[in-house]
Amino acid sequence: MSPSASTLPGDWIGIALLLLGCAFYGAGTAGLLRFPDVYSRLHALTKADNQGLLLVCAGLAVLARSWRVAALLGVIWLLGLMAAAVSAHLIARHARHSGSRRTSSEERP
Amino acid sequence: MTAIALGLAVVFLLLNLLAGLWRIGQGPTAADRMLAVLLFGSTTVAVLLIMAQWLGDEALRTVALLFVVLATIVTLAFVGTTRDGERP
Amino acid sequence: MTIGVLVDLMLALALVGLSLRVVTGRALFRDIVLFILFGLVIALSWSRLGAPDLALAEAAIGAGLTGALMLMAYRRLVAGGAEDVAPRRRPPLLAVPVAVLTGALVALIGLAALGVERVPDAAGTIVLEELGASGLGNAVTAVLLVFRGLDTMLEMAVLLVALLGAWAVLGEVHPGRLHQVDRRTPLVGALLTTVAPVTLLIAVHLLLAGTDAPGGAFQAGAVLTGCGVLLVLTGTVRPRAAAGLATKLLVIAGLAAFVMIGASAVALGRAPMSLPGTWAVYLIETAMMLSIAVTMTLLFARARALEPERA
Repeated sequence: MSPSASTLPGDWIGIALLLLGCAFYGAGTAGLLRFPDVYSRLHALTKADNQGLLLVCAGLAVLARSWRVAALLGVIWLLGLMAAAVSAHLIARHARHSGSRRTSSEERP
Repeated sequence: MTAIALGLAVVFLLLNLLAGLWRIGQGPTAADRMLAVLLFGSTTVAVLLIMAQWLGDEALRTVALLFVVLATIVTLAFVGTTRDGERP
Repeated sequence: MTIGVLVDLMLALALVGLSLRVVTGRALFRDIVLFILFGLVIALSWSRLGAPDLALAEAAIGAGLTGALMLMAYRRLVAGGAEDVAPRRRPPLLAVPVAVLTGALVALIGLAALGVERVPDAAGTIVLEELGASGLGNAVTAVLLVFRGLDTMLEMAVLLVALLGAWAVLGEVHPGRLHQVDRRTPLVGALLTTVAPVTLLIAVHLLLAGTDAPGGAFQAGAVLTGCGVLLVLTGTVRPRAAAGLATKLLVIAGLAAFVMIGASAVALGRAPMSLPGTWAVYLIETAMMLSIAVTMTLLFARARALEPERA
């Protein structure tokens, strides 16, 4: 539970950032489910999820009201950013080598 | 209010995970299925961080840290080991 | 219904659904992916249940080891000519009564457990009462090293036997037979230089924090194994033909530290396996961490020893 039961004005900022971050996660999932080929899905997913993680971390840092926790969240976000960048790069390269095609805009249903 | 918002965020992110399962069934390529692993990885980290605040459990942040640090291992094993339609 | 119950229900639903699909699925690669996700949901469930020690272990093993191990096995199967999608077979008739009876048995045990009254001096209660005397703040570490030290020592023996067994059937080592991601691939080198030191840092943190907070030798060892697997997968280290003295010492370190401290207690006239102080806990945990990490990395790499690959 948060340190105090009542919601301080600062907490509203934290909650707003957190919910905005969740919206980005939702956008990433929508991209994964709806986009036509593996590259656009990858693009939508990793980009949106990283932004989502940043906003979630920022919101939680505000809510936690602790510099130590904020620093840890910052480290987690940076490492997550790096992991996502490397994973996305490797998966895209793999897909290209194994012959996945891009779907051009005319072909889209 | 804060606790309710944190709980709702966890529920929303878990719904994201359940939706991502559809892509695994659908494919069509192995790379598409790996994308679902990426989705699960990044969402799990967010859920753990939110749960750490929600349940007041400091150790869950360490769990999230472990996940981001080790997240690339599965991808490395995947691109190093499997090729669609091609025998390595 | 509170939000907490809703979260619990969703996690339970995801666990049951995922495990059913893993077991009944017939497409090899898809089932491996589902199993990896199953591990992630398990880690979330342990976190939700207030068991961060288990969540840490599951995170390190689930994210770093089992998934990679299965993908490697998949590659060998496909290279050996296995089909990705198994043909549909009718389950044997016996399966239905066995499933029904097993389900009934589990339900019966569950129902019986609900009715059992709390025993006043159960082992768990005594451990929590005596925790202060052990000098450790983390009940899990206290149980593993102080109260059930013999079990933990034998676990290290099991790990050693597993490695010896693997060595016995290993045959000739073919360096460079694993199809790896070259560390000169864009971004992969940068990833290594960042992530490998961070894993070392986290492992040492978990080891030191393990006496008072969630963590300990097993979690730290699993994280270090993740580092080792990363080095193996990127071809930074390669198999060597034979194990040198250093490898052998590292592999037996955990068991040896346990035996020496446990036996010296007898020599000094104290109870067998009793630890002389917190320093002994740190010593054994460090040795265990190194043994676990080296053993599991060697098992993963199918190697007797590893040496750095010269660029």
